[in-house]
Amino acid sequence: MGLAALYSASFQNIRVTQQVFYDQLFCAALGLGIMYFLKRVDYRKFYDLAYIFYGLNILLLLFVLMMGRYALGARRWMEIGALSFQPSELAKLSLIFVLGRYFSNRRPTLSFNFASKAQLLFRDLIFPFLLTAVSILLIFKQPDLGTSLLLFGIFLIMLFVTGLEYRYLMGFTGACLALMPFAWHILKSYQKDRLLVFLNPNIDPLGAGYTIIQSKIAIGSGQWAGKGWLAGTQNQLNFLPERHTDFIFSVIGEEWGLLGAIFLMYCYFVLIDSGFQIAEQLKDKFGLFLTMGIVSILILQVVINVGMVMGLCPVVGITLPLASYGRTSFLVFMIMMGILLNINRKRLFS
Amino acid sequence: MRLKIIRLSTIAAFIIILLNLIYIQVIKGGYYFDLSLHNRIRLLSLEGPRGRIKDRHGKILADNRLSYDAAVVPWGVDETQPELFSFLSKVLSLDQKKLLEKYEAKRTASFVPVLLAEDISRDQAILLEENKYRFPSLLIQEAYRRQYPFYAEGAHLLGYVGKINRLRMEELKEYGYVPQSLFGYGGVEEYYDAYLRGEEGGVQIEVDNRGQQVRLLGLKDPRQGQDITLTVDADIQVSAQRLLEGKSGVIILMDADNGEILGLTSAPTFDPNVFLNPQARREVSALFSHSSSPLFNRAIQGVFPPGSVFKMVVALSALSTQKINSRKTFFCPGFYELGGMKFGCTHEHGTEDLEGSLAHSCNVYYYNLGLLVGAQTIYKYAHDLGLGSLTYIDLPYEEKGFVPHQQKGLLASGQRWYAGDTLNLSIGQGMTLTTPLQLARMMALVASDGKQVHPHVIKMIGEKSIERYDSNKEIPLDKNILKIIQKALRQAVVDSSGTAHALNVEGLYVAGKTGTAQSSGKKENHAWLVGYVKGKKNISFCVFLEHGGSSYNACVIARDLLLDLRGKGIL
Repeated sequence: MGLAALYSASFQNIRVTQQVFYDQLFCAALGLGIMYFLKRVDYRKFYDLAYIFYGLNILLLLFVLMMGRYALGARRWMEIGALSFQPSELAKLSLIFVLGRYFSNRRPTLSFNFASKAQLLFRDLIFPFLLTAVSILLIFKQPDLGTSLLLFGIFLIMLFVTGLEYRYLMGFTGACLALMPFAWHILKSYQKDRLLVFLNPNIDPLGAGYTIIQSKIAIGSGQWAGKGWLAGTQNQLNFLPERHTDFIFSVIGEEWGLLGAIFLMYCYFVLIDSGFQIAEQLKDKFGLFLTMGIVSILILQVVINVGMVMGLCPVVGITLPLASYGRTSFLVFMIMMGILLNINRKRLFS
Repeated sequence: MRLKIIRLSTIAAFIIILLNLIYIQVIKGGYYFDLSLHNRIRLLSLEGPRGRIKDRHGKILADNRLSYDAAVVPWGVDETQPELFSFLSKVLSLDQKKLLEKYEAKRTASFVPVLLAEDISRDQAILLEENKYRFPSLLIQEAYRRQYPFYAEGAHLLGYVGKINRLRMEELKEYGYVPQSLFGYGGVEEYYDAYLRGEEGGVQIEVDNRGQQVRLLGLKDPRQGQDITLTVDADIQVSAQRLLEGKSGVIILMDADNGEILGLTSAPTFDPNVFLNPQARREVSALFSHSSSPLFNRAIQGVFPPGSVFKMVVALSALSTQKINSRKTFFCPGFYELGGMKFGCTHEHGTEDLEGSLAHSCNVYYYNLGLLVGAQTIYKYAHDLGLGSLTYIDLPYEEKGFVPHQQKGLLASGQRWYAGDTLNLSIGQGMTLTTPLQLARMMALVASDGKQVHPHVIKMIGEKSIERYDSNKEIPLDKNILKIIQKALRQAVVDSSGTAHALNVEGLYVAGKTGTAQSSGKKENHAWLVGYVKGKKNISFCVFLEHGGSSYNACVIARDLLLDLRGKGIL
């Protein structure tokens, strides 16, 4: 379905070429292949490779910052020969591996005394956070606010799964919130604009608010059954920016209407929920964390992207999994699907 | 378990999304749909051609002619720009740089053509059109331009058209006028603009986010406005205008029984075609600043002292109030003395009766009458005869003139009414002012035994004839008295010593009254000749020469006019 939408987005228009569609199509094919392949690969191998993988990823991120291709106001892509890819997408995967491995080695600990409480915190909270933070910072510097926040979200959810006591969790979140005002200043102006516009899109209808207004128009005008494939006027006539990436959902909303949108959401829901079902039955810690990690990425990306596109969240540049154009992203997701499939398999047989 | 928490939160999140989707797509779906349409659809209006103006026999007095404009559509200009403009400058013989400047200054959206040259010749248009394959953004637009085939004859009657000005725009924008609309100025063009206006059509096009035209969605053809048929006879109009050539004055001919205007001319006149000629700007401003005010319609806007013509009013008032009868005489020694001052008369008339006094235009008789009757009474009858009020002719800017009121006038100017003022009033001098049209109407009233008609210039709008002009009034005057006046007027023409004797044309029953009115300052007197012709039609007329000297001059013109019309078989 994502493919169909992409076709529409790139159909007959000057800005985004059809190439996008073919690229994604290729990746889809490739991805499917990888997925099936990974289905057979024991995911526990990743366990072993986790740290190495992560370390590599960090390096890649560093490279990107220094020598990456500059596009759309950010350095996010690495070029190797004729191909380019986004390390930040990979980072999601590697983070899951790392955190998965790390957390699966911890046992839920009890608080004995103060000294060990600190140790506890350190082990269970701070150290993993620091691990994550490295990636977050590197990605933030690209600058890619969306993905860095995403990583933070992944961390939070996985942390939650570890069973860390609530008060620590609360405390941690509290601390983070307290830091927000400081964070405000680190934000670049356009990011600040996005937040302000989120609160009221009409402040700047031709600038920052334009996208959201257009996006809502697109979605809303689809009404029940949409305007028909390839017939979305907002989309075809170039009113909607970024429609092949962040705003692909708007295209779907416009062309397939409420029914189409619900169908898509349902697909995602099924995917996520099956993840839950698998997770519930797992005993293997690593597997559990991997699964939850994957699930969390899915949840976060879907919810934030759709919310963003509808004006429920500020625009942060999160793409819609498997639908938005992004070859690295697509492949990474296919990898994740493959891993899930493998975990599922193992579950059934163990 | 914790997993459950996450799971439930996820479900909650999805539900929120779902609800919001429903909100946006279903509840506010229509609203957003409209917005999406609005984004992409633009309307361009196309103006319809104006209705024509025809004379009573169908001759076209105001028409539209096809003209060509050269325009350039900005979309797609970039690549061919320098060659396009050098080509244009060569064909149109216009400076290339100026063309470019004009283009840059006037361009708006990329699908709106920029007008670069108006009313180009047909050859130029053909040449440009032939080269369109080279320059696809070149556009030859057809437009309708107003044309007046009779040029200056009838200019005041017809008026002219031009682009609407801001003041009128403010008042009329609810009726659909836009800044580029054409509007009539003066005459029938202005008064009936609402009918003459073409009906707007439009083009509905789809644009993308850069405002570029993607395709044509709909076309509504503009329609021509309604034609208007005048009561005026072009032959009469032309004859009249020619007789006034080189002079300053008015000729009006009106059907005495129904008020149809057969001819209405004012001189000096102008050629209304210049207002539509973009090359003729200088002529236009010359018209506006010319000292003899050629744009001024003296027939209805000009107010002048009626002079001896007013004596009819005095006679009527005297007879109607029975201060005298028709046989009353007065002696005229050539002057009249009052309060130590001598008020003059043109001749020594000796003993005159009423008929003679009108036929010979004796001032002394009327000085006597005036004092007998009193200024108040004269005022009343003047108003009964239609002086001092509007005739409500269907042309704009009519003036209503002025008849002094003995008491009210005092309050206004603060001066006493002297007997001398009555004397002046009796011979139509002093503060009295009338328009030529009022006098023509008055003559019709006399000729028709008391019927005051409503002068009008149009007969039909489109295919419908105008029936409402039976707002003719019967003025309560004694018919016998009117007959006396009629006889006197006839005498003025028939009697060899009558002041209007020049009008005695064989075979025509003509009656009339001359008037020589002193104008202020050192200028020549005004010359009046008003009267009527009874025959196939009863026609009342008024000939006026501003500073024309003796009324004899007006008589000559009137006679030439009558002869001319008889020759054409109209009389």
